[in-house]
Amino acid sequence: MQSKQLNNSINDYTVYLDNVSKTFRTYHFFHKDDVTDKRRILTKKEACAADHVTFGIKTGEIMGLLGPNGAGKTTTVKMISTLVKPDSGTVFVDGMNVEKHRKEVLSRIGVVLEGTRTSIWPLTPLENLYYYGNLRNIRGKVLKERANQLLDFIGLKDKKDIEVRKLSRGQKQKLAICIALIADPKIILFDEPTTGLDVQSSRSIKDKIIELTRHYGRSVLVTTHDMHVAQELCDRIGIINKGKLITCKPTTELLDLFSKQIFSIRLDRNLVDNDLDHLAPKIQVLETILTADGPTITVQVPEPHAERSEAIYTLFETLRQKKYQIRSIQQKQVNLEYIFLQLTGEKPVFDETNLSEQEL
Amino acid sequence: MLGFLLIMKAEIIRGWIITRRYWFRTLTGLIIGYGMLMILIAGFFYSQPAIEKGINQFEDPTRATNYILGFIIGLFAFGVIGMFTQGIQGMAQTGILEQLCMSPYGLVTNFLARAVVASVSTIFYSALMVYMVVVSVGGKLHFDPIPVVVLLTLSFINLLGFGFLVGGLVLVFKQVGQLTILVRMALFALAIFAREEFLQQGWLISAFMHALPITDASICLKYVLVKGQLTNSGQFVSVFLHPSFYWLGASCVFWTFIGITLFKIMENYSRYKGTLGIY
Repeated sequence: MQSKQLNNSINDYTVYLDNVSKTFRTYHFFHKDDVTDKRRILTKKEACAADHVTFGIKTGEIMGLLGPNGAGKTTTVKMISTLVKPDSGTVFVDGMNVEKHRKEVLSRIGVVLEGTRTSIWPLTPLENLYYYGNLRNIRGKVLKERANQLLDFIGLKDKKDIEVRKLSRGQKQKLAICIALIADPKIILFDEPTTGLDVQSSRSIKDKIIELTRHYGRSVLVTTHDMHVAQELCDRIGIINKGKLITCKPTTELLDLFSKQIFSIRLDRNLVDNDLDHLAPKIQVLETILTADGPTITVQVPEPHAERSEAIYTLFETLRQKKYQIRSIQQKQVNLEYIFLQLTGEKPVFDETNLSEQEL
Repeated sequence: MLGFLLIMKAEIIRGWIITRRYWFRTLTGLIIGYGMLMILIAGFFYSQPAIEKGINQFEDPTRATNYILGFIIGLFAFGVIGMFTQGIQGMAQTGILEQLCMSPYGLVTNFLARAVVASVSTIFYSALMVYMVVVSVGGKLHFDPIPVVVLLTLSFINLLGFGFLVGGLVLVFKQVGQLTILVRMALFALAIFAREEFLQQGWLISAFMHALPITDASICLKYVLVKGQLTNSGQFVSVFLHPSFYWLGASCVFWTFIGITLFKIMENYSRYKGTLGIY
């Protein structure tokens, strides 16, 4: 039964990670222990980069992997691209186990890794594409045509004969994308594609990633710690922290996750402290702001529909009993940063930058 | 095989473009190389023991040529092993190694093709250097093309095998790259001083010397190029009948098998450790 379910998942997704785990172990000699402050001859340290991670990427979909530094995003990309071997679990690409069909898998994926130079700086972009094309069994007329098409597609056509060392960082990143695309892969993995780029270059790269999926039907995995990139780009987002995939949902669904739970209510007069505590047992008051029009309280109600309904009734009933007048009610739309902090268990800084309003 | 040829083609084009584009660096590199080698050789001949013995060895061109050839073979060995050690370190730092690791042809084929291309240019520069230096000291080389090509090929395969072994270690332990300079220096020195007398010092030393990848290669090459395949008694005996030639063949098989096997094991281990392609 379980095997049948796995087979279905493998067939449904272009890339599928089944219960994949990876822990990196390092050994340190004469390391000072932080707790005891004593030196030990040999200290073993472990860092969990993937803890039973399971998710898939469909054809023509942009899947985002969002997480802080050291969460395990790059390791996940490297496990798909066969650079890192998982301790347990299996990675499937196009239905093939990457460990058993490494060569076939590598001819189907293109990878843009973060922070690497990738390209050969003394060569021009065109020469780089010819070089990497040969390394991936693309040659002759096909290689020449594809190299020129890619440079045109990414917007480097006028720079094709300039040495890479003379190009800007954004242009080098664009070239790295072309190198990843030279073998016409079905699956493209981007590890932090816009990190360190200016707004214009970042925008341009995001547009190209969208074009690759919408127009050319590629499956794309983007890792990022930038909430805006994930929100703007991805059809589906997986939130990863300390190697654990906390959630993996379509972006719209994820954004809705807490949206129906936060309300902002403007009253005619200040709440008395005691009233705040007794508004309703299941309601959490997130903040109280004093404005010229009167005080506004922001509250979070429970998620399940029945409980939420009950809590809202109780809240309004309590306010009525205490003779407060309600001037306005707004439902707040949370952004990805708020959701991310909520899900990773960190206390979100509650301000207007991670909320948008929706008048009721 | 096609993959190997494609990578070779890519490497040749890359090397040619860089040589041509940075022609000034190439030219000055050759001139400085020649100058450094002359200084090294002069320093070697005029070193303290030589002075004490009162021998001006430049006056014996055969002996000088013997050492000069040793220097060049040593430099060749130094370069081939360095391609694996310093090469891997450099490529890991620039991110190119990760791309090679993701090539469908595999890392062994990639390195093999790169090493062949790199060695062809090294042989070309070394031959040029040998000629220039030998002419400078008034020596003479006996160039017999078939034995020379066979010996160079076997020496290269031998060094490749050893290079794969050291390269495998560097893949996992990148810091080992610095230590391998000592190994390269040892091979360099061995290529200069390797003599048939070394192999007659008892079975232990003899076995150790045969096991090293450059000893028999250096002895054979000197036997052909310097002695003109003449024994001490002045009789012509083909190098293909020389015992060192057979040791060289055996050494090739041994190092190639050990080197590539260990390289693959280390590549796999490096993937497990997560250090493949990174510095």
